[in-house]
Amino acid sequence: MSMINNALSGALAAQMALSASSQNIANMQTKGYTRQGAVLTAVGPDPRENSVGNGVRVSSLQRFSDGYKSQHMWRAASDVGQYSQTQPYLTQLERVMGDTEASVSSGIDKFFEALNAVAGVDPTSTPLRQQVLTTAGLLAQRFNSLSNVFSAQLQSLRQQRSAIVDSANAAIADIAALNQEITYANSVGIGTSALVDARDLAIDTLASQMGLEVSDQPDGVRNVSLRTGQALVIGGVGGKLTASGGVGVAQVFNLDFAGTTYGLDATLLGGQLGGLATYESSTLLPLQQGVEDIAGQLASKVNTQLAAGFTMAGNPGTPLFVFTAGGGANMLQVAPGFQTADLAFSSNGTPGDTGNLQSLVLIKGQAINVTTLGTVLIGDADTQLVGKLGVDSQQNKAALSTNETVRNHAVEDWQATSGVNQDEEAVNLVEFQNMYQANMKVMSVANAIFDATMAMMG
Amino acid sequence: MRIATSQYQSTMNLSLQLNQERITYLTQQMASGKRILLPSDDPVDNVRLSRLQREESALTQYRENIAAVKIRMTKTEGYLSNMANDITSGRDLLVWASDGGNPPSDLAAMVSPLTALRDSLFYNSNTIDQEGRYIFSGTATATAPISFNPLAALGSRYSFAGNTATQLVVVGNGITQVSNENLSGLEQLLNQLDQTIATLSVPGVDPNNPAVRAVLGANLDGFDDALDLVSGKVAVLGGSQNILSTMDANHANVSLSNQMAINDIGQVDMGSAATELNGYTTALQATYKSYSRISGLSLFATM
Repeated sequence: MSMINNALSGALAAQMALSASSQNIANMQTKGYTRQGAVLTAVGPDPRENSVGNGVRVSSLQRFSDGYKSQHMWRAASDVGQYSQTQPYLTQLERVMGDTEASVSSGIDKFFEALNAVAGVDPTSTPLRQQVLTTAGLLAQRFNSLSNVFSAQLQSLRQQRSAIVDSANAAIADIAALNQEITYANSVGIGTSALVDARDLAIDTLASQMGLEVSDQPDGVRNVSLRTGQALVIGGVGGKLTASGGVGVAQVFNLDFAGTTYGLDATLLGGQLGGLATYESSTLLPLQQGVEDIAGQLASKVNTQLAAGFTMAGNPGTPLFVFTAGGGANMLQVAPGFQTADLAFSSNGTPGDTGNLQSLVLIKGQAINVTTLGTVLIGDADTQLVGKLGVDSQQNKAALSTNETVRNHAVEDWQATSGVNQDEEAVNLVEFQNMYQANMKVMSVANAIFDATMAMMG
Repeated sequence: MRIATSQYQSTMNLSLQLNQERITYLTQQMASGKRILLPSDDPVDNVRLSRLQREESALTQYRENIAAVKIRMTKTEGYLSNMANDITSGRDLLVWASDGGNPPSDLAAMVSPLTALRDSLFYNSNTIDQEGRYIFSGTATATAPISFNPLAALGSRYSFAGNTATQLVVVGNGITQVSNENLSGLEQLLNQLDQTIATLSVPGVDPNNPAVRAVLGANLDGFDDALDLVSGKVAVLGGSQNILSTMDANHANVSLSNQMAINDIGQVDMGSAATELNGYTTALQATYKSYSRISGLSLFATM
């Protein structure tokens, strides 16, 4: 009576395949879901002559996944993370520093224009001298507001990295816990597909935050470590990242794993954390230093030249600018109580002389030494800083767009293997339904044969 | 390649996003008229643009300086021309006074116009501008150029108290222009006039007296010298203004070519931007259409 048993095995197998399809269709829009399918195997015959076989069985539920494609997707996530988080910062700086009217360049222009205008009409003209003081104040303000933007960016960079570290710790703990659950489920033979999907999603999140190396273990566990080698998750044990250091102090990253603390170089981490650290150390801090260099040396040159001249009252000149290194919002200021008559334009004490004023005007064409740029002219320094910022931002945009393309392809690749296709599932539904009905028919045929046999006996 | 249903969705989203991003960018470009919205759009051209703008700022200032200096020169020229006229009429009087046939009463009558002339020259030399600074004292603009000391001996009561230093204005890259004036030398004429007035004021002055003739003769020479001095300055001022005009025209030409370069580099090409915008709009519309067509395709619909 193997026929009826064969038919039963076929009907059961068809049911199993149909339920796999129904699960796939239900999760058509679920992020990170890996489709499954029933693997059908023919059951061999009994050890006797003329035995056709004992039907079919579902040997396993297959997860359609490809470890290489997942790895590729995670690597691409790190590369996208590295460039995507810094772009908003770069664009903000470009908008502030690249503005034609509000830039430091235009402030320097206006200050020297005002000096030139005094020379053009009369060096003792009070309104024109006032114009010099006003433009000096505006110039100082531009430097200060730029300095404010830098400080604000530094602060928000650090806050963002602290937040990323918190979220990364949550993902690390998730991965470790899921590793444990998967080990347990494997040992008792429960399906692990949903758990593996959840773990892969957590790894994907973590990968966008820092560069990862993921290695598969034979028992279904995935170990995760940083690109620089330190382990984040081994089996069911997860590490903990910490970011310390507040405002004005460089942020330090550490990894605690199983009682040992490792110091991390944030710029080598990759992902969002590494990208932000690289932006801070190779773009933001040098720019901040560069702007401070311009402000400091401009102030010192103007003050030195003023000291060489004489005021309207015939006294030696006093400093116009007060420069405070690292002063943030008060980096550059006009000396308090400075009056128009205190501007020392005369080189010999006679009020109509413009010798010192001419020397002041010439400062615009003098060279200063700016971090990352080397020796540049004062009038050109800001232009070159903005030029460098533009190149950095352009490179970042290009790298971001390349890596986004790579990531999109990686995700498409992954979906090509693991994603659900509704038409395919529709075909499966129809075909397995047919299979089920055919097996039912076999049963009824077997039943008819059985009945006929019984009738003959009767 | 096997295509997952969600892959089709994400491809569609990506295409919509890309097209919309480009359309926003082009619209911004067209609205502002700028080709470079951020330095990173074209870092090299952005640096060129910035340098052209720096040069424009300097040129504008040079041109403003030239305009201001020319106004000062015109004013100075006016004062000096007035003085030249005064000096000419004074010289005419002296020529008449030097005629030996004049009766003493006529000579005495010349005292009052000569006094008026002396005072007019004195006050004109000590002209001040709106802010109270002396125009003709070199760089010592707080000091009256001609000082008068009533206690000094006749013939040395007027003296030049200013200096002959020059005040320079930048009117081009490395080019300066003297923008101030001084009247060093005019004090001699004033002293001579003073002596002439004192001589002619003596009752019954005899024009044929050798001492009187000597004073008048010296004064006549003094008038000639002063006329040379003042009209020489007027001529120089005129020449300088011509040079400044030429320089201003040069600056204007350079500025024009700078502005053309700024437009060339910085302005968006509306034609090509509009064509590009059209292309992206078409692509976007095609994406909408194909989405509505393909999303209707499903095997389930026929089951």
